[in-house]
Amino acid sequence: MTVAVITGAGVVSAFGIGVQAFFDGLAEGGSAIGPIGSFDASSFPTRFAGEVPTDIASMAETFRNEHLSGGDTHLQIDAFRDRKVVFGLLAALEAWNGAQCAQREQEAALSIALGLEQAFLEDFAPIFSSGRIDWKAESDIAGANIRIRSHVGLCADLLGKLLVLRGPTFVNASACAAGGLAVAHAASLIQRGAASIVLCGGADSMVNPLGMGGMTRLGAPSPRNEPDACRPFDRRRDGLVIGEGAAMFIVESEERALRRGVTPLARILGWGSTQDAYRVTAPRPDGSAARNAMLRALSRAALQPEAVGYINAHGTGTQLNDVAEAQAICGAFGRHTDSLPVSSIKGAVGHLMAASGAIELAACLMPFQRNLLPGTAHHREKDPLCEINVIGEQPIEANIDITLSNSFGFGGQNASVILGRYK
Amino acid sequence: MRAAVVGHAWRTPLGSSVDEVVRRLLIGERAAQRNPRFNAETYACTVAAAIDVEPSPSRHQRFLRRMGLLAMETAAEALAASGLHGSDRVGLFFGYGGLRAYWNDMMPALEKQNEQGDDSWERGFKLFHPFWMLQHLSNNAHALTAEALSARGEGATFGGANAGAQALASAIRALQIGAVDAALVVGYDTLIEPETLVELAARRAAATRDVTELAAPYDQAADGFVPGEAAVALVLQRPEDVRDVPVAYVEAANGADGEKGEPNASTIANVVRGLARGDEIVDGAGRADTTLDLQERSAIAELLGSRAPLCCIMGATGQLGAAAPLVQTIALAALLRRQTAPPIARLRDVVEGPLRPLMKAESIDARAAIAISTGAPGLVGVVRVEVG
Repeated sequence: MTVAVITGAGVVSAFGIGVQAFFDGLAEGGSAIGPIGSFDASSFPTRFAGEVPTDIASMAETFRNEHLSGGDTHLQIDAFRDRKVVFGLLAALEAWNGAQCAQREQEAALSIALGLEQAFLEDFAPIFSSGRIDWKAESDIAGANIRIRSHVGLCADLLGKLLVLRGPTFVNASACAAGGLAVAHAASLIQRGAASIVLCGGADSMVNPLGMGGMTRLGAPSPRNEPDACRPFDRRRDGLVIGEGAAMFIVESEERALRRGVTPLARILGWGSTQDAYRVTAPRPDGSAARNAMLRALSRAALQPEAVGYINAHGTGTQLNDVAEAQAICGAFGRHTDSLPVSSIKGAVGHLMAASGAIELAACLMPFQRNLLPGTAHHREKDPLCEINVIGEQPIEANIDITLSNSFGFGGQNASVILGRYK
Repeated sequence: MRAAVVGHAWRTPLGSSVDEVVRRLLIGERAAQRNPRFNAETYACTVAAAIDVEPSPSRHQRFLRRMGLLAMETAAEALAASGLHGSDRVGLFFGYGGLRAYWNDMMPALEKQNEQGDDSWERGFKLFHPFWMLQHLSNNAHALTAEALSARGEGATFGGANAGAQALASAIRALQIGAVDAALVVGYDTLIEPETLVELAARRAAATRDVTELAAPYDQAADGFVPGEAAVALVLQRPEDVRDVPVAYVEAANGADGEKGEPNASTIANVVRGLARGDEIVDGAGRADTTLDLQERSAIAELLGSRAPLCCIMGATGQLGAAAPLVQTIALAALLRRQTAPPIARLRDVVEGPLRPLMKAESIDARAAIAISTGAPGLVGVVRVEVG
């Protein structure tokens, strides 16, 4: 059977730009959660986030100067208003270059997880009328901008153009499970020979007034505006913290990678997905569907539970989710649970929503790269309802060969992906 | 790999039953009318092909709008028609065209904001309904359908103009490898939204004439397509697991080429090449753009021959976005069973070129069809439908 391998990775996170900044931040056991600086959030109940520490305008300018030429105004103007698009482009370039991709790799397919369509308030200004949008007033100008400059596939569209990719495009919109599913889809394309190389991953940002406003009204974020707002699996946890960023990967067949002289970073061994079929607003309490996603991933990888050496949990830091995930892990791993290290990076970089599964899969590369398992920032008090072996705030040294990443989306879409050390 | 279609349901601009839609297709009827969804007098495109039924009252109205609710209805009907029930072995795959943000919902939050962006919570964001975010969640119809039908197997939600083809291909793959025993595939999309009509006008993709002056796809006078909408669901199983004769067998593939507008003909041909056997009739993408239409015909003729019959379901239903491949599957299955290909609705003056655009219903021997759908940016979906 064709083996899918990861040959390049790129990350943009609250720790900074690049995989090394991400690994360094996790290796230090720190947290990058802080006050929101990209817009005036002072009047919002939620004022903390895992914000990418950069001026998006200067980042966009750098990107334009370094990577773009010619007169494609669509590329030069429209992309850079949307933070997630810029993050996705930067992560993709890092992955592309890291995998030593060149012209021959432009046959790549694209499987990308993207967050909600972004609305830009300035686009609406010309067509506000008596508390409603009057589309007729400026239908040829502002309306076109709203639709064309912010559609959900914009990042995928631009990535395809930027890297001159010729393969099919898949835009996964499965909420917080989308990042994991996008990479699983890429591995599936490789395994069945439908593609020889795929650029995949996720990008998202809800650090904007609409995103923060909507999430706050939903009651998902922690009510505390503190650096430790998100405390996964901690007895005192009280909600998530929103993050932003991107993680992208080059996935190809092992044979193709070796033929072009590239050493893989990891094997993608298995994946599984399920639906809770329970409620939009809450996970299935017994975690059975999430358990089944992990079991399917193990089955696809032809692995016994004991083979897994580390789980990067979805671990949102909300009361219900963490208990359900702990139940799911116990159900899938049985007696192995006690000796199976589990951590969540959401206390460190926040919840990247559609990109969370992708960046957490990137965290699953750290044990292979640095022989370190990421810690769980702000996890200090064990919750008796979460009977799993949670790694504390500091990373731990370990030489393990198999990692598993969980992504459980709003509405109960579950995804688990298993990586193997490349030897 | 192909899958057997064992259940289906739809809401289309030509009707909600297969018999009604097929009857109207065969007499060359077209669903286009003056936009019935909202006043479009000042828009470049004033016509639309709309579904003329509303969703039944549902407790899910607090999370879902009209098209999502119709999608849920079709999913339930399709599963019931298949005789199957939800379980851990039933997968759920959704494709939808793109988020419809219902911008007017945002007005309470936006109308008192100022340019400085200060005090914005008090100026309006606190007025959002607690479920506002859920109403705009990309997978809310998926989640609610999973819950309603106990579909707990593998699944994903895809977005974009060819998301229906993506959902179909993923479902078929999940069946092939044994990850699920049945797959419910749901597509829904509407192009009859203000911002979408504006976008289509900016791309000069939609028709600009009045209903009485509209020209069909593949006609010399074509000046753009009619925006349509549909909600549709299919239930698939592995062919070897089906005891009775299935509705049809379906295969799906998709592609993209990064074009800002419609995909290149070569991209369409590359995707078709992966599915075609050479014995199919063609259901064209029907962009109603004389250049694109001719390029499509030339590219497909190289694969299926210059005399292959060409019909165009979306010439009758309007363009259906992500829902198109699923609607094409159901319609073509019914037509192939009747061994009749429908005319291209209101086709009067065919552009000279390869393939054989049908001006009237025609008896056919073919047992299979290739159906093409496209959309921006540069997206292609193709299904191959075969009856036993």
